[in-house]
Amino acid sequence: MTGIGRAETVAGDAARAVTWERRLNTPHDVWAVFLQSHKRDPHVHVGDVHAPDAEMALVVAKENYTRRDPCVNLWVVRAEEIHATTAAAAEMFEPGIDKSYRFGGSYRKQKQVYQSAWRLSHRDEDQ
Amino acid sequence: MSHNMGPTMPGHEQPQDDPELLERFNERIAAGDQIEAGEWMPEEYRFEALRLIQMHANSEIMGALPEREWIPRAPTLARKMALTAKVQDEVGHAMLLYRVAETLGRSREEMFADLVEGRARFHNVFHYPAETWADVAIIQVFVDGAAMQTQGALRSCSYAPYARVLKRICYEEDFHIQLGLDVWRALAEGTPRQRAMLQDALNRWWTPLIHFFGMPDRVSPHSEKMLAWRIKVKSNEELRQQFLRRFVPIILEYGLEVPDPGLVWVEADQRYVYTEPDWEELKRVGRNNGPKSAERLSLRQAFYRQHAWVRDAIAQWGAAA
Repeated sequence: MTGIGRAETVAGDAARAVTWERRLNTPHDVWAVFLQSHKRDPHVHVGDVHAPDAEMALVVAKENYTRRDPCVNLWVVRAEEIHATTAAAAEMFEPGIDKSYRFGGSYRKQKQVYQSAWRLSHRDEDQ
Repeated sequence: MSHNMGPTMPGHEQPQDDPELLERFNERIAAGDQIEAGEWMPEEYRFEALRLIQMHANSEIMGALPEREWIPRAPTLARKMALTAKVQDEVGHAMLLYRVAETLGRSREEMFADLVEGRARFHNVFHYPAETWADVAIIQVFVDGAAMQTQGALRSCSYAPYARVLKRICYEEDFHIQLGLDVWRALAEGTPRQRAMLQDALNRWWTPLIHFFGMPDRVSPHSEKMLAWRIKVKSNEELRQQFLRRFVPIILEYGLEVPDPGLVWVEADQRYVYTEPDWEELKRVGRNNGPKSAERLSLRQAFYRQHAWVRDAIAQWGAAA
């Protein structure tokens, strides 16, 4: 995320052995911009702007992030209000055990079905 | 070079980094990992990444100046609208880049002061005049094309916030090259006077374009470390060759002359040999002593002063909010 500042700010109890979350340390006037391309899509962080308030942040965001590609909705939020997991805690996203059972594709029969009929009739570009 | 970029790091002292953290950092980079803003990084890495991104930001906003001169003089309404859009994109790129540079510990205000007070650097090509409409074609095709080689490579750099904005910047630069090729084609297929104007612009821009990628690898300072840290992804010469391979054919295709009689394609090495340009000129221009450096900087200063009321109004708005 572009919105992360230079120094690490530890949210909560600084005495905890492992800091797994923190608030982004950004200047007060930085707003994170989230853009929704189509109603069917989620809002995605596309960058930041500097602005004194939310209204102006939306105006500047519109000028900077919607010049070409489709947009149906913008969100802005003060970047300093965003909490994030820390880099040091990234290993918590590593699977602790083999999780292939969560994917239909791991079953051979399922895989055959997926790769033939279902996939052919549900390609992304047809949606 | 470093003394031009403010007080972030004194020129000769080696900053003291925790050796254990440094080793872990080097391992991560070597494994292809990317660094996020706010994570630990060696002081020298921070310094070099900031220097690179700040200079890139400066170049985007200074690059808007030679082109904006031609907005009122564009030959058709369609050309005028396309050029206006391009100039707006360049200023937008500067906005994105100053924000990324800011995450490395220098405020936007400080960086802008560096620029308008003449302490900071911007790319060599923006120190030259845009004399005719054909210069606009050369800037859009060849200058943006040259920038695309460098920035395209840097999309896989190790500083993730920079890599992310470069994705968007390259996407937009590609439009600029398309616009430029249309102007180029119109002139190259035009009257003898239009062709002569295009050839003249190409002749004047050739040396700055060869300079664009920086000094030859043999004299480029601390390149190796930057390459290892992936603040640099390809060497100056690699990028220059990549540029020549892509853009020399465009010149030849339209029956124009490459302004270097010494330029030869060497099949065996798959590279161009070219006449060594005057590298002293690049150094001089880089120190803001180019033909248009003073004029463009004073224009930037004048706008900075002229728009002070907007910044004041925003600050007061912020205080009232």
